[in-house]
Amino acid sequence: MPDPTTSESTAEDAFSRYVTPELDVLYRVARSITRNPTDAEDLVQDTLIRAYKAIERFDGRYPRAWLLTIMRNAQMNRVRRKRPELLRDPDRTMQRIADTSEDGQGVENIVMHDEFDAAIETSLDNLSERFRSVIDLVDISGLSYQEAADILEVPVGTIMSRLHRARKRIRTDLKAAGITPRKSNE
Amino acid sequence: MKIRRAFWKAEKTELNCREVGRVLQWYLDGDLDQADIPKMQEHLEKCRECGLEAETYESISQSLAARGQLADDDVMDRLRAFTVQLVESNGDIDS
Repeated sequence: MPDPTTSESTAEDAFSRYVTPELDVLYRVARSITRNPTDAEDLVQDTLIRAYKAIERFDGRYPRAWLLTIMRNAQMNRVRRKRPELLRDPDRTMQRIADTSEDGQGVENIVMHDEFDAAIETSLDNLSERFRSVIDLVDISGLSYQEAADILEVPVGTIMSRLHRARKRIRTDLKAAGITPRKSNE
Repeated sequence: MKIRRAFWKAEKTELNCREVGRVLQWYLDGDLDQADIPKMQEHLEKCRECGLEAETYESISQSLAARGQLADDDVMDRLRAFTVQLVESNGDIDS
């Protein structure tokens, strides 16, 4: 029979080693998924609880991917509880949740430092969910293509393709608005 | 990481703007094959229009990445405290 003290210590060590360093990433991704700071914090807590319960079965390989899978499952459960009728189409579900976020603008207002950022903000708002989600996960949250592909359940090639097309749309919007990069304005 | 092979022939010495535009984002993301990078760099240095295009994409990426750095200190403090509490209670905690 395993020594419970040793077991707890092992779980604590593993949690500190694999989970704690990923807190920032988990919150950024949660914010991307929920578009709502309060829901994002709840989702991270939910993910942490699930991760703690499963930490002894975790083999130590790719902790971020492991945690993001847990987060995705946690989010699906949360959506199921809130909106059971929308589960058949996760993309649509995410869109509807984003559309109904009440305080999703809070963080966004902070980042309007100048005309360039403001124009990007406007362009981001006009992107469809499938493009916006890839920008959120890769360019904003800093995930790898593979990590984003795992969350969205699409091939890596699709992530890259959507990413390039999304940035191109932002670029086109900036051009149409006559906005040039900050370096040129300075 | 998946590396993109450019579609131009290896013996091609100079690229035109259209060819550069097709793989510019691959290049900026570091996904372009090493062998194709010098030709890209050479064109971007010579061509003002493509150079500006690259600069714009870089600025877009920087602006987007900056959003990811806007982590709320209070939220992160609460999440770290939650993590400590979770471990101390051996997982017996409600979110």
